[in-house]
Amino acid sequence: MPEHRCPSRRSNGSRRERRLFCTGEPTYTTDAGGRHAPKPAWLVLIVLALLTSSVLFAQYQRKPPDFGGAYGFPTPEHPEPRADWIRILDIAALAAALGTGSWLILKRRSRNGVLLLSIGALAYFGFFRRGCICPIGSIQNVTLALVDSRYLISIGVIAFFFLPLAAALLFGRVFCGSVCPHGAIQDLVLLRPTKVPERLDRALRFLPYAYLGLAVLFAGWGLYQQRRFLICEWDPFVGLFRVSGSFHMLAIGAGLLLLGMFFGRPYCRWLCPYGAILALLSRVAWKNVQITPDKELDCGLCAEACPYGAIRNLRADRASCVACARCYESCPRHRQPQAAPGGGDSLIQVS
Amino acid sequence: MSEKSTRRQFIDRSCRIIGFAAIGGAAGLLTHRVSGNAVYQVDPAKCTACDLCRTSCVLSFSAVKAVNQFDKCGYCMLCPAYFDVNSAPNERGIPSGKVCPQDALKRRVVGKVDEEDPNNNYYEYTIDETRCDGCGKCVKACKPPMGNGSLRLEIRYARCVECNECAIMIACPALAILRVPVPGISPARSAEEGKHA
Repeated sequence: MPEHRCPSRRSNGSRRERRLFCTGEPTYTTDAGGRHAPKPAWLVLIVLALLTSSVLFAQYQRKPPDFGGAYGFPTPEHPEPRADWIRILDIAALAAALGTGSWLILKRRSRNGVLLLSIGALAYFGFFRRGCICPIGSIQNVTLALVDSRYLISIGVIAFFFLPLAAALLFGRVFCGSVCPHGAIQDLVLLRPTKVPERLDRALRFLPYAYLGLAVLFAGWGLYQQRRFLICEWDPFVGLFRVSGSFHMLAIGAGLLLLGMFFGRPYCRWLCPYGAILALLSRVAWKNVQITPDKELDCGLCAEACPYGAIRNLRADRASCVACARCYESCPRHRQPQAAPGGGDSLIQVS
Repeated sequence: MSEKSTRRQFIDRSCRIIGFAAIGGAAGLLTHRVSGNAVYQVDPAKCTACDLCRTSCVLSFSAVKAVNQFDKCGYCMLCPAYFDVNSAPNERGIPSGKVCPQDALKRRVVGKVDEEDPNNNYYEYTIDETRCDGCGKCVKACKPPMGNGSLRLEIRYARCVECNECAIMIACPALAILRVPVPGISPARSAEEGKHA
């Protein structure tokens, strides 16, 4: 019988007390008095169990038939799932990409750097990992885990849901600009950016919240007792990443990419439910893309360059800025560092 | 910016702290529900081979495939999962039709071959995974008492993209897709533990 042997309470106190209060390692000792030897009833039960199990074994482990010749059972192949270290690598890659993206956008202010990083993220999270696991879909897992106590959630999903949110509180929507493969693919097809009327843009920006609410409702409670993962079912781009998917997904993806040639990131701006959460959080971001009043020329080139309508009155709108660094690239003072009064390559200081 | 923080900055900072607290709290709450690096697998005891594995997987060519467990297989000549027993028999009494619509279930004669009486031979049944679409018709036909139940549907991890949430798991009416902690075949866990309602 296992017994907690406690040096301090060896002599005094009853056995029950010792078991309650001792916190040392349990040591397994044989009881000299034989008080806890197995009782005959237990013995009988064990013998019975052994007997029945041997009968069961005999029933289920039949002898193989005599095939004749030299034939033996082939061993069925069971491909191994993705190894644990790759899952951890995913989380590490996400964290590293978020960190690098924040540095590129806030310190380096490098459009090329952000572009390269987003292409890398598109290759890894998009085409290599085939769009799973993604933070957009993880909204539903997190909802379900919060609503249903029986539902288990994997650590990767938790990390993918919360890491970009924390990054948004610190540095704005860095995830959208440099990590998200959905954003990257739309950024790459943006050939002829066209402005959307501001009133229409503002109206459309409410759509993600509606979509988010609907997705949370369907994932957490479902409709007619049937839970559904709307975001995954209607995701436009995972079908492209997997080169496989239902027709409506591929059609919506192609349509959004066509639309995205003229209007910047239609999915991110007007549909993405995760973008809605990020927009809310980045309103109070610690640091974000800023166009500082004391250094600017009032030329408005940045507002012209922003394909997302995120520069209003020559100020970056924190909620809608996806940190793509196009405004910095367009800035004449950014292109000619010599002309800057302060000098150095980062002209416009982050306040 | 001025030394003293403005009202706007104060509000921002407060909101940020609240946001971090909310994120941390939610993440902390969820750590009770962490399943580790679990994977999805079909429980053959619950699986009804309903055809939803073929249609529900996010991949258009489903990651679920039929797998033959050879030590359970009877190596029958007249395999109910291979031959469509309802089809018209030919002159030797063997059904003419096959169960598998993709012709993915292959067989070959093994062991000592008796040329005269095909019923005296053993046949090994294997699945061609490049053709199998996971419809489960063979699995249904192999279920006892007709067959030994050696054929079952299995999520093949070489193909599975390991989604956040298995689309088949959401769709499965028999709650047969479970989240298993280790890559196994027959998880001995109840539906309440591994599967949401």
